[in-house]
Order: sequence, then structure tokens, then C-alpha cells
Amino acid sequence: MDFTWLIGGEAGFGIMTTGVVFSKIATRSGYHIFDYVEYPSLIRGGHNAYEVHVSEALVSHLSPTIDILVCLNKETYEKHKSRLTSSSLVVFDQDEFEISEDIKKIVVPFKKILSDLKGQPIMKNTIALGASVGLLGGDVNELIRIISEQFAKKGDEVINFNKLFVQAGFDEVKKNYSNNILNYLIKKPGEVKLVLTGNDAFALGSVIADCRVYSAYPMTPSSTVLTDLAAWQEKVGMVTRHAEDEISVINTAIGSSFAGVRCAVGTSGGGFALMVESISLAGITEIPIVVFIAQRPGPATGMPTWTEQGDLLFSVFSGHGEFQKIVLAPGDNEEMIKLTAKAYNLADIYQLPVIVMSDMYLSESHKSVSKKFVDDFIANYKINRGKLINKITNDKSQITIESQSSNIKNNNYLRYKITEDGISPRLIPGTPGYFYQANSYEHVEDGHTTEEAQPRIDQVDKRARKWVTYLNHDFCAPKVYGEIDKSETVFVSWGSTKGIVLQAQKLLKTKGIDSAFIHFNHIYPLDKEKITELLNQNKKYILIENNSWGQFGKLLTMETGIEMKNKILRYDGRPITAEEIVGKMLNIKSQITNKS
Amino acid sequence: MSTIQDFSGYNPTWCPGCGDWGIGIAIKQALIQLDLNPSSVAAVFGIGCSGNMNDFLNAYAIHSLHGRALPNAIGIKLANHKMPVIAIVGDGDCYGEGGNHLLHACRGNHDITIIVHDNGVYGLTTGQSAPTAQKGFKSKSTPTGILETPINPLALSITSGATFVAQSFAGDVLHTISMIKAGMQHKGFSIINILQPCVTFNKINTYQYYLQRVYKLDENYKKDDFKTAVQKSLEINEEKFPLGIIYQVEKPSYTDQLPQLKENTLVDKKRFTDFDIITKLFI
Repeated sequence: MDFTWLIGGEAGFGIMTTGVVFSKIATRSGYHIFDYVEYPSLIRGGHNAYEVHVSEALVSHLSPTIDILVCLNKETYEKHKSRLTSSSLVVFDQDEFEISEDIKKIVVPFKKILSDLKGQPIMKNTIALGASVGLLGGDVNELIRIISEQFAKKGDEVINFNKLFVQAGFDEVKKNYSNNILNYLIKKPGEVKLVLTGNDAFALGSVIADCRVYSAYPMTPSSTVLTDLAAWQEKVGMVTRHAEDEISVINTAIGSSFAGVRCAVGTSGGGFALMVESISLAGITEIPIVVFIAQRPGPATGMPTWTEQGDLLFSVFSGHGEFQKIVLAPGDNEEMIKLTAKAYNLADIYQLPVIVMSDMYLSESHKSVSKKFVDDFIANYKINRGKLINKITNDKSQITIESQSSNIKNNNYLRYKITEDGISPRLIPGTPGYFYQANSYEHVEDGHTTEEAQPRIDQVDKRARKWVTYLNHDFCAPKVYGEIDKSETVFVSWGSTKGIVLQAQKLLKTKGIDSAFIHFNHIYPLDKEKITELLNQNKKYILIENNSWGQFGKLLTMETGIEMKNKILRYDGRPITAEEIVGKMLNIKSQITNKS
Repeated sequence: MSTIQDFSGYNPTWCPGCGDWGIGIAIKQALIQLDLNPSSVAAVFGIGCSGNMNDFLNAYAIHSLHGRALPNAIGIKLANHKMPVIAIVGDGDCYGEGGNHLLHACRGNHDITIIVHDNGVYGLTTGQSAPTAQKGFKSKSTPTGILETPINPLALSITSGATFVAQSFAGDVLHTISMIKAGMQHKGFSIINILQPCVTFNKINTYQYYLQRVYKLDENYKKDDFKTAVQKSLEINEEKFPLGIIYQVEKPSYTDQLPQLKENTLVDKKRFTDFDIITKLFI
């Protein structure tokens, strides 16, 4: 069982919340989901569409066809009818508009129900949910439970009023369309699942990793990290700061991190552009910080509510001067939780900025994630604060603490001590008997400013060794899906395209074509030795990216000398699709065959 | 009790006669008199001649970027609200490059103390005019005289929500000590604008110039009255410079208003582990 439900309507009429409720009904009924939302950058008047791909198996991609199309206005039908098949059902209200095409029509009198029950226009969604659950053979009581939880704060009166509309939609299809019932959502046993967006996963990963300050300025598509954490801050005992601009955002976090707590900031490309001077500050002062970037198409304001992987090279090379940073790009929500939590460890261990890259597609799409997976991850996750000298546990083995005031003149603590692994012990400010400065100027080992040649070389080299240590201890080579040996074609991608390429591999398999897929989530720095052996074989490598330059391909060339000649790139603001990959791949294949 | 030596790092490299010498001494004295030591205070420095104090003053410190000391200071305070936090900045730093941060730090009533070296010029880049320079001031970057009217840091801070706004003169070290102490003892956002002659690049706003134009607020001055304070702060537009606490009111600071900081500081609290209360939101 595998189907896609799509609801569309005018922006500002609750399509988003309705979509999440549908996703939760599906997961509570025992199924997996992956959803995707399309919306313009305005609050009222545009077209919103929310689609949910439901399956018995794990899903992390969209389907080319729509099985149930719920049209709250005519535009929804016109925009999405090309994805209908002969068996698709279209839910709409004949009193609002007519459909002339010969399709399977499920007429639900939204207008009449609203008027009979004296509902507000936004409650069309509630009727649509009831009708959808009815049509899919789902459990109306589960839907009512979700709605009750949603409106819990508003009281019984609101809940009971909403129930009427759920029931009306449900009864309408049960009564008039009993022959069309699909029974796709029959409740079955299944493990408990969380319905998370990539942003939710980043927020959850941050809480797991004990992030204590999250600072941000709202920017689509990163904003829901801020709203999640702001809502949870009192419960989890962290502080979120919505600062005046992104420059203040990152400098707030740098201050808090200096003071000894784990910190993160979140933004999109434009906001990150304002932060980069301070990325460089974190680089030279060696202050740990986690930076979440949810990309959207640029340049400048670009297309705020759409998706692109266009800020990869900008992120990798962000900040003036030569300094070390680590860039990660999770492929899906499970990886987002794991790599977010890892990012905080890496920032502490290597004392540098760690960038976690997402994009609108990953950040705003929900995916069902097994609760057991999350619980197991939490149980096994270990906080590693690296060489932080923790005044709470009194683990001061790296320095000798002497009695307070009298020995302050003998402060022998070297914040930027030259070490073999490039990492120096970091002291929490306030530790008695010591002091130090985190210096944005080049400095000697104790933190004082220097313009001398040798200390400069020593510090540059010390910082550079952090990357060597990272590549030896914490870099993860890309994961290979399928077998390179058995495949003629090898896909190469990074970050959020993972689920889509995996689906393309499945589609090819049904055509009898074996393929391999190298997926990178540890993006920078790259271990030349480990990746060259995967990329220099006699195979047809195809680079897949959601941008127009093939930015990751350029990075690979820079790091390994290997050029990615075949590329499938999409940069219209929409996510690349599995079907597109298969089509273009077969085309590339025939071109190559024709040449030889 | 700490001594001047405890707080003294490298020997200062300021020009002989620079107002920064007086401010440097005043800061150390204030910290000593408040019974602090280099381990118990956090200082954030901006970039400029004032920021160069990073090497001359011992403390847990960040020598930050130009203009960004205030958000760093706010960040330190959020993480450890029991630690006194000062920001040592210049007029170009705090009123120019970082002007937006000042407005919002005032609004938040963040419990930090801002010590501004106001000399009307960019000393470290050899004397271009700063946001506090008088209209018409000639400098390398404004050879025919600056067209903009000067920032009024006192009025700006008072009207933006600062709860402690003071002014002192680098030539009067004792008064400057008392202003820094009062600012640090104040619970909430405090700013001390220190009039500071730049003997190398500012031939207008000299010691002589200030000695003729500064005066101390008398004992009957009502520092807790908003309108009086705004009125008083406008005197600097007429080149009259009141010294003292121009405005002071008691209001809850930013961290006072965060229930999650009631029990403990963020840096000292225990790790949150009740993850089910978060995961259940997504089922």
C-alpha cells in the first residue's frame, strides 16, 4: 500500500496545519509518511498545497502521481490535475466550481455544511479531513483525538464544535460514496512514530545534545527551529534569543559559548551572509558554535519559500582568513538528529564552527521517524565536551589550580597552548585563580595579541592540525548504497537528495538496472584518500544536486582532482525527483553509448 | 582584595596624554573597589584604541570584532548571569558599527555595563571622524567638515530603554571610578559615556575644551525622572556636558525575567534529560 494525498487551497486558510494532522493520522494508523508543502512568501491570497506520501514501507520521497486530490478551491484542481491517474479520486464542492473532465469525483458540499452548522471558512479543512479519513477507510475517532489534542487549550466547546465538522465530512462520503472507499488507512499495528520536519529534528537533536542557548532571527525556511525551541525553553532549561539581526545572533551565541554552554544559531543564506565575519571570529578565538543553515534559492531574497542547495560553497568557504570549520549535511531526518547531536560534540572537541546544512525540502517536509530509533539514539548518545576544563566536575587535570587571589599573577594557563593534535585546553570563565582572553587578533599561547612572525606561524599550524585530527578520528566517509562493483552507473549526491536518489535506484532496479549511490553527509573537510578510491573507478558517475553549478562536484574536483562530467541539476526551486533522475540518467547513458 | 597589579597585563601602548590612560586606571580601580578579581569578572573589548585595553587588563575576556562587543556581552550574561560583565568600547565601535546592537541592548535591559570611550575620532585608523564628532569637524575622511549631526548617546540610550545612563570625563579619574562602580552595581543595562580627549587626532575636543564645558550634576538633580533626563541629555547638543548619573531607574533585567534562570545559571545547571515531554509533541 502506497498512496499520495494532496490538499490545496488559498494561503491563510489552514492548509499547513491540516496537512500535519493528516500525516499524524497516517502514522498513528501504523503507516510511514513523507510530506511536502508548497506555499508562496505571503500570508494571504496565494496557493498552498500540502501533499502526504503514505506507505507501509519507509518513505523519504514524493510520488509523481496523486491518488486523492482534495480541492478547497478550483486552482488546486487546475494546478495539480496533471498528476492524476484514471483511478485518482478528486474531492471538491460542486457548489463552488465544476469539473468538466471525466474523473472520479467525490462531491462534498463544504459550503452547505459550513452554512448549516454555522462554521467559519477555515473549518472547510476540518470537513476535508473527515471526508479524507472516511474515503480512506480510516478511524474517525483517531482523527477526533488529534483534533482534541490540537484544540486542548481552547476548551471543550471548541473541540466539540470541530467534531461536528469532522463527522459531517466523514458521514458525507460514507453515505454517498461507499463504493469508492479505498481502505488505505485501515488501522494496523506498528511502532510509535514521530512526525518531524528537518527543522524539528534539528531542534530535537539540539536538546538531546544539551544546547543551552539558541539565538536566531526569523528567516524562512529556518524559523521553526526558533519557534520550536522558544516554546520548549522553559521546560528544558535553555534560553532562546530572537536578536535584532543575524550579526547579534551569532555574537550572542559566541558570548554564551565562551562562558561555557553549548550554543547554536539558525538561519538561511541571507542571514548567514550577515554572520560570516563572526564565523571567522569563532575560527580564530576557537570558540565552539553550531550553525544551522536551511537553504533557499538566492541570490539576495531569491525565492524564500522554495528549495535549493545553492549555498554549499558559500558555507564551506565562509569567513575571511584561513581557519578551520566542519560542514555536515544530513540526508534525512534520522541523520539530522544524529548529525546535529554530533555537531555539538565536534564543535566542543575541535573548538570551531560546525555548520549543519539543510534546505527547504528537508527543513519543512515531515518524515515519520521511529520513536524507538530516537529513544535508542538518546540512550547511546554521549556528550563529549573535548578538552573543556569543567569546573563542576573539577576535572582540572590540564592545568594546576592554585589557591585563588594570591596566585593570580602566576596565571599559567595557556588558552592557545601549542599541542600535537591542535586542540588546546579550554577553561570555563569564572574558574578561580585564572583568567584568559579569547582574542580576535592573532595571539600568543596565553591569548595576548601578537604581530610577530613565529607565534603567527605556530598558531596557524596549530589550528590547521585540528583538521588532521578530525579527519583521523571523526570524519565519516560517504555511505555507498548498492554495489559499485556490480553497477555501471554510480550516483553521487549530498544532503537532502538522499531519499530521492534511493528511490531512483529502486525504479532502475525494476527496469533491471543495478546502480550504486555515494551519499555524502560529512561535506567538509574531505579526506582525499578515503573518497578518491570511491570516485576514480571506471564507472559512469552522475552528480545530482539541487543547484545550477554542481557545487559539490566543484568541491570534489578541488579536493581530489576528479571531475564530475555527468550532472543532473535542478534549480527551479523545486526538489529534484526520482523519475527525473531515471529519465535523465537513461538519456546520459544513450548519449555515451552513441559516442562510443 | 585585589591590587592594581593583579589586573595589570601588558604595559599600555596608548599615546602619552591619551584619555584612555585615565579610563584604564578608573576601570581597574572600580573593579578593585567592587571586590572583584581577574577570575570573577568578564570583559568584552571592541576594536579600536579602547579595545586595545584587552592586553592591558587581566580578566576573562573576549577581544571581539569591531562593533560586536555588546552581543558577546549579552551572550556571556545569558550563560552566566551571576558573573559581572563589562563591555569596553569606543564611540565608532558602539555608536557607529555596532549602533543597532546598542539600541536593542538598551531595550532588553540586559544586565551589562558599557564603558564608552568617546573621543569623536577613529584613533586607531589615524583620525577619521566618528559618530559623536561635532557637525563640521574636519578629518581625513571628512576634509571639508562632517555633514552629519552628531549622535547623542545619552538621549539615544535613555529613550531606547537603558535603565542607567551616566557621563564622565577621562580627565577626572575619581569621578569616572565612581560612575563605573555605580553602573556595575546597577541591576540592568548601564552605559557610561566617557568624554576622552584624543591628543593625537582631535585638536578640537581637548582637555582644555572639556574643562571649560563639563560640570557635575548637583545633588538635587532628579535622575529617576525620564523627561528631566532627556532634557539634560540634550545639553550636549549645545556643547554643555553634564557629568554624573543622568538617568537611573529600577526595572527587572532581561535575565531576571527568565523563569528558567531562577534556580541556577545556564552554565551550572544540570543537563535536561526528560526527553519524552518533547518527543510526545510529535506523535
